[in-house]
This record gives sequence, structure tokens and C-alpha cells, in this order.
Amino acid sequence: MTSEQFAPGQWRLSFNQPEADFLINVLARLGRHYQEDVSRMPPALRAYWQGTITRGEIAGKDDLKESQEVLAEARSELRGERLALVENWLRDYELSEERDPWKVEITTAERDDFVAMLNDRRMLIAAELGVTELDMEADLSQIANEARRTGILEIDVLGHFILVMLGPQIYRP
Amino acid sequence: MSQVESMLGAKILTPIRRGIEAAVAGPATGVRFLSVARRATATSAAKPGTETSPDIDVEEKLKEAFARGWSIIVWNDPVNLMDYVVYVFKAVLKMNEQDASRHMWEVHQKGKSVVGRETREKSELIVHRLRSFGLNATMEQA
Repeated sequence: MTSEQFAPGQWRLSFNQPEADFLINVLARLGRHYQEDVSRMPPALRAYWQGTITRGEIAGKDDLKESQEVLAEARSELRGERLALVENWLRDYELSEERDPWKVEITTAERDDFVAMLNDRRMLIAAELGVTELDMEADLSQIANEARRTGILEIDVLGHFILVMLGPQIYRP
Repeated sequence: MSQVESMLGAKILTPIRRGIEAAVAGPATGVRFLSVARRATATSAAKPGTETSPDIDVEEKLKEAFARGWSIIVWNDPVNLMDYVVYVFKAVLKMNEQDASRHMWEVHQKGKSVVGRETREKSELIVHRLRSFGLNATMEQA
């Protein structure tokens, strides 16, 4: 995968065939997930989508209860927006005549939405599997459970995609 | 540490595995500066014939200043990448690269960082924006 800025605020992403296949698979899964009823999700995923407004005590604090409701509603709307985004990406792939490499031109704002969506997938896998710091630092070959190993690999690969798009960000004097 | 590893540096808690360390060379984004809202100062005298009330304006501004009593906190997690977190701080909070990096390191090393203090409504919005990028953000009354 490559990412190049070809004009101010304009980016060209390029994926080879295996990368495109992987990405389309991820997007399809995300699309299905965004359509799921949150109330039927496992507790960890439900918590991710409802969000937590504070780690402090919320009982008896009406303003925080209201803020929690505002957050949950906003996150519900976000899932609809992300679903529309997934559908756009899948449609673009369907209509593309050249898929190796598959090239996509996007604006900076679209890139922000895209990386946030890919990060959704990373966070959802982590929430679903209960991924810990130790898991993320472990040698993949040492993780016996296949679903867990595959999930962590997907988190890593998507992280790599995100970093390719954003480039280094940390201030290094 | 390879060049790619050091460049990836790259996450809150874990390094990118070697198997997927393809060359990553994206352009650094431009530096943006924290936009600090200037609090309007009330004019000392209204022009004749206008309905401006400086007293009310001052009072409203004071109320607003005191209402900024909600801290926005970002918490550490095992999955978000360090560079990604810096990017989100720059994009959402309009921090410059140096401030964004400083807050990211604080999250990484201390487990959390207070990234802003705002009114309740604005804090709600910022928490939502940070969470829409996958960051674990909350708010607390300061």
C-alpha cells in the first residue's frame, strides 16, 4: 500500500491485489457490524458503541446522565455515517476497472474518516477478544488460540495501513 | 531498532510486528496551532443609538469562563498507535505537533492526560469526536 499527496488536501492511495482483497474483506465485515442492533451485541461491543462519558460516579448527577445519553445518541448516528462510508468504498471497488493496483483518490477529510473507520475495526476486534497489552507485545507464533492470533494480526495490519496514510506524527526535536 | 520501527515508534503500547513492516513513508502533516478562543472583552461604552449592553456581555462572558469547569481526559489503551493518537489530537483538538506529542506521551506513561477544559456542552462534543476516532475519552467536572 502506498499513499501520496498529489495536490493540496488530495491523496492517492494504492493497494496491490492482496491488500485490496484484505481491505474489502475488512470493509464488508465493518458494514455488517454497523448494521447490527447494538442491544444484541456482546457486552464489550455494546459498551464500545454506547461510550462512557465519565469514569467517575454518575449516579445522582443529572447533567452527566444527560451527557451520557447525548454521547450514546451521537455514537448511534456515527454508525449510520460509517455504514454509508463503507458502502461508498465498496461501490468504488465494484466499479473500478483496474484492481491491481487499486487506486483511490480522496480528500484529507475523507482520509480522516477512512482511518477512523479502520481504527474502529481494530478497536472492535480488541474489545471482542479482550486484547491486552501483553497480547499486543507477544510474538504471534506464541499465541495458541487461532482466532486470537488472527485478530491481533488484523489489528497490526490495519495499524500499518493507518500509519502509511498518516505518516510519522510524533514531534521529535 | 530498524528505521521503520523507529519511525513507526508507533503505538501506545506495542510495536508493529516485523512481518508487516513494509516501508512506511508518508508525508508529515503540517503543524497546526492550538486555537485558543479569545474571550471577547466588553466594550466600555456602547455607541449611542445601539442596544448593546456591556454589563450583560461581561456577565455572560464571566459565566462562560466559570462554566469551563469540565476536564476532557484521554486514557491509555493497548491498541491505539502513538502516531495515530498524535494525529487525532492535532485534528480534533487543533494542537500543534509538540503539544499533541506531549499529551500522547503523558497518556502512554501516566495512563491518562487532561487534554482540555471546556463547558459541559463543548466537552460532550469533544469526547464524542475523540471517541469517533477510537480514543478512550471521558469528561469530569474539574
